[in-house]
Amino acid sequence: MWKSVLALGLMLCATLGRGEDLTADEIIRKAMDHYRGQTSNAEMSMLIHRPDWQREMSMHAWTEGDKRTLVRVTAPAKDAGNGTLSVDGNMWTYSPKINRVVKVPSSMMSQNWMGSDFSNKDVSKDTDIIDQYDHELVGQYEEQGHQVYVIQSIPHEEAAVVWGKEVLHIRDDWVMLQQQFWDQEDRLVKTLRALEIKEMDGRNVASVIRMGKEEAPEEWTEVRTLQVDFDVDQPENLFTLSNLRNPRE
Amino acid sequence: MKRGSLSVVSTLAWRNLWRNHRRTLIMLLAIAIGVWAMIFMAALMRGMTDEMMRNGLNNLPGEVQIHQANYRDDPSVANSMAPPAGELARELARPPVAAWAARVRVPAVVASERDSRGVTLLGVDPASERAIGSLPGDIQEGRFLEDEHDRGLVIGRKLASRLETALGKRVVLMSQDPQNDIADRGVRVVGIYRARLEGTEDQFVYAGRAAVQEMLGIGDRVSEVAVTAHDYRAVDRWYPQLAAAVGQGLEVAPWTELDSFLASYLSVQDGFSLVFMVVVFLVLSFGLVNTLAMAVFERVREIGLMQALGMPPSLILGQLLLESLYLLGLGLALGNLLALASIRPLESGIDISAVAQGMEMMGMGTTLYPALALTDMAMSTAVVIVLGLLASLLPAWRAARLEPVTALNTTM
Repeated sequence: MWKSVLALGLMLCATLGRGEDLTADEIIRKAMDHYRGQTSNAEMSMLIHRPDWQREMSMHAWTEGDKRTLVRVTAPAKDAGNGTLSVDGNMWTYSPKINRVVKVPSSMMSQNWMGSDFSNKDVSKDTDIIDQYDHELVGQYEEQGHQVYVIQSIPHEEAAVVWGKEVLHIRDDWVMLQQQFWDQEDRLVKTLRALEIKEMDGRNVASVIRMGKEEAPEEWTEVRTLQVDFDVDQPENLFTLSNLRNPRE
Repeated sequence: MKRGSLSVVSTLAWRNLWRNHRRTLIMLLAIAIGVWAMIFMAALMRGMTDEMMRNGLNNLPGEVQIHQANYRDDPSVANSMAPPAGELARELARPPVAAWAARVRVPAVVASERDSRGVTLLGVDPASERAIGSLPGDIQEGRFLEDEHDRGLVIGRKLASRLETALGKRVVLMSQDPQNDIADRGVRVVGIYRARLEGTEDQFVYAGRAAVQEMLGIGDRVSEVAVTAHDYRAVDRWYPQLAAAVGQGLEVAPWTELDSFLASYLSVQDGFSLVFMVVVFLVLSFGLVNTLAMAVFERVREIGLMQALGMPPSLILGQLLLESLYLLGLGLALGNLLALASIRPLESGIDISAVAQGMEMMGMGTTLYPALALTDMAMSTAVVIVLGLLASLLPAWRAARLEPVTALNTTM
């Protein structure tokens, strides 16, 4: 989901032409193309909110392109050191308490990630949307001087996606303002929203995003990007199981 | 004993039986109800056993299964086997094997927008599955798979409601390929079936075999071959020849081994009915002994007179035993008729949905189908006659041993 942050946040308005006549595919593809191949290194915090409790975690995330991600929890102390590695849609977790790397089995991919409102699948396969869906530009509107494209994405018949459709609101500087998940009866199930957009390391980023279920408005997870560096040099072995187990950085 | 004396004795026995007709009728009623209870309970128990066997064998399915040797310990896709070929295929093609089906059976997860559930994914070839009778019989909505290349999914009614999905909607099927990587695909629900057990509806989902093999990347390999000869009791006679025909690394197991609980339950059941019948009869026998003892007590002088007139003790014994045999025979006839009359109309099923959850734990559905078996009727008849005569032996023996002079001088 740190990738969602980037995918969401990914920004790049300046370099790409503001295309009034871009197709939906091009809008998504350009955003993703830009974001692919990028490396990033971010400090984040995640706030899980429930009606009667909430908790916060700090974490460090590294990404490379859309297929490789590593996240390590830094606080609170009892969770510190927990790590998640995702490479090519597969996912492994590491817990220092048991000193074991565990591969997340397919049966757990739709369960939540570290108790948040993101599923393991959201975390490891969030860029599937590019080629697993058919995209259509269904509207545009103006907001704070920006053009916002509304794109409706319908998954392919055999795509491993449960949603009936997703609706993306992408600003013309390629910040994703909203990602809505609709079920197959056209009811909105959950929404990922950008709550704050900020310039970080030279780019506009959705620095606070919130995932919330429509049926339970009091339950949401907020991810805040505190600090991020793009296009950083990363060691070769960053996205490996041995690094997941024995951090070297 | 001459023919003439036998007919005299049987006439005497029959008339004596109706001298105190009220007492005889009460005893008759007691025997009839006892016999009815034995047969009725046996029919209910047999119905339960049959149901458990049916459900059990349908879930297995087949009476014999062939697996890769490690599959039963770890039913993962890695422990798959090549489809039957060569000698095994020849063995499967000839009697007594009636039908067989090769299927992919792996743990999987079905996810909808709202929930996800662990299931057992069955990749089947509908034609051969139909032949072994393992497919859900009741498709509530939509259709079943058309052939092994069908890319749809058939799920149970309970699973559909748990996932909050419905006919025609897409769900995601997830499992693991032999390299432990995730294999997943979106599939459309083309049919919703109803099973007799909710647990079945929740557990099994059906997809085309070829489509599942493609998703898992296992070529034409399968997880199990289910074989049936349509007679689960005879399985021990023919499965060894299959076992001899399979190659290295494969394992052939009959249902008695695959589901040892079912097997032991079946063997316990017959013994259990007998025990039950004997217990019911023991209660009855006190009444029977009492009736006969009274009959003897009332007729001490009469018996003494018969003896004085020259009737040998054996005939007196025979007369009293005949009396009790008449009583038992009449009671049995009445009880059996009563059982027939009460079970026949119930054979279409007794609704026990009020206690369905408890019964499910025993592998039973919401309807109980009593099964009237001739063996149960024969067994109860045998129990009643044998034990009945044994019980009446004591008073009859005492009557036969009476001293004529003492008996004649007894005053009532």
